Amino acid sequence: MPVEATAQRQRSWRGTLALRFAARDGRTVLAERRHEGPLYIQQPFFPGDGVCHAYLLHPPGGLAGGDELTLDARCDAGARVLLTTPAATKFYRSDGPASVQRQRLNVAADATLEWLPLETILFGGSRAAIETSVELAPGARFIGWEQLSLGRPLSGDRYAAGWLEQRTRISVAGEPLLIDTLRWRAGDRLLGAEWGLAGFGVCGTLQVFPANARLLAPIRELLGAVTPSYTELRCAATLLGELLVVRCLAHSAERMRTLLEELWALVRSAVIGCAPSAPRIWRT
Amino acid sequence: MNAATLRLWQLISPTLPVGAYSYSQALEYVIERGTVRDEPSTLAWLRELLHHGLAALDLPVLLRVHRAWTRGDAAAVVRLSRELEARRDTAELRFEDMAMGGALTQLLANLGEPLPAGAPRLPFASAFAVACANWRISEDDACAGFAWAWCESQIAAAVKLVPLGHTAGQRLLLALGAEIGTAVAAATALDDDDIGTTLPGLAIASALHETQYTRLFRS
Repeated sequence: MPVEATAQRQRSWRGTLALRFAARDGRTVLAERRHEGPLYIQQPFFPGDGVCHAYLLHPPGGLAGGDELTLDARCDAGARVLLTTPAATKFYRSDGPASVQRQRLNVAADATLEWLPLETILFGGSRAAIETSVELAPGARFIGWEQLSLGRPLSGDRYAAGWLEQRTRISVAGEPLLIDTLRWRAGDRLLGAEWGLAGFGVCGTLQVFPANARLLAPIRELLGAVTPSYTELRCAATLLGELLVVRCLAHSAERMRTLLEELWALVRSAVIGCAPSAPRIWRT
Repeated sequence: MNAATLRLWQLISPTLPVGAYSYSQALEYVIERGTVRDEPSTLAWLRELLHHGLAALDLPVLLRVHRAWTRGDAAAVVRLSRELEARRDTAELRFEDMAMGGALTQLLANLGEPLPAGAPRLPFASAFAVACANWRISEDDACAGFAWAWCESQIAAAVKLVPLGHTAGQRLLLALGAEIGTAVAAATALDDDDIGTTLPGLAIASALHETQYTRLFRS
């Protein structure tokens, strides 16, 4: 039996967290923090790259049917922020309502945000609605990634049931630059088809703003070098105006994460202006 | 035969000067990879993209732009067009859509046809819908015609690249044509919230086509 506590759970959790980061005296501070329910932020810290690192915590460890988590993070002008999570986000099996995760990330001019959550694991039978809205001002800087795993192959969970609807919208000055909607039901043709997930169990994307052809070239070089074969790992980069998008399909979450971290390390100094220093929490 | 039907034929003719023949929408890449390699695999690829791609995005947007422009709602035409552009998830697919849409918009302007004020950039499905609304072509016929033109252009690319014989091309057109009604019905039934589904494998193939060594097509 999986350990998800859907049956014992008497009520569903609603967590909201609103954060505002601001620049004061050349340093980024958490200027506002409001929360309700089981979604927190750990005391931010500064590992020495001039960036305020903050961990989002969700003590229940995953979302069951009816749970709703909402994050609203704003980075004011001059703020430099890296948000990550210490653990994967899990969507548990639900026989009833969907589990909802919303995040609204707002980045002002001259602010930087790195949105680097660990992977999202879709348990078999989960009903996941994920909505991410990234609102960038002209002059904002942003690196974000998303990583989805279908089922837990090592535990015999092959994602035989369930559905996903993941909407991502990135806009600049209110105009949509990229709208991405992943949606499927377990068993859909899309999961096996070559134009869909092609049988891969892990799907990831990386988005970088602003970017240009000079940044695209080394990314393509790296992707070409790490891609052993079309059937083992499939990935490609493209440039949509000033937004660079990398899409990847992999067979394991570890492989995907290694690749995304390599890509992040490659672009960080050009986009954020400091050398990569991987959050320690990723290594624990 | 009414005038609207003849004008739809004009819009879906391969001689419409929008350059449709120069794009393959990643077909050139999947042929290089061997995913598409003969007549049956060509039919399978195109049939699924007709239902999961065109019927999920282009056709429902076309319908909505047609309705918006028919009631004179230029703001809705612009909003739907921007969202369609934002859903084109590679540089090549976006370039193709905006280049074809731009060419058709310019042609309509040269013909003295009414267009949304302020010369907004229209992707191809939007410009096509505006033309159809101007020419009193029904939304159903507009969708079927758009889908037909897409099938014809993709099959022409497959005939050249796989390669396939001309009889095989005509057989494919018969087989795909028989599915257009279902695709249009599905597109018509779609709710606003359900428009547009990302196809990761197609997006990756299209992005890889951008650096494909030997290529005849611009997408």
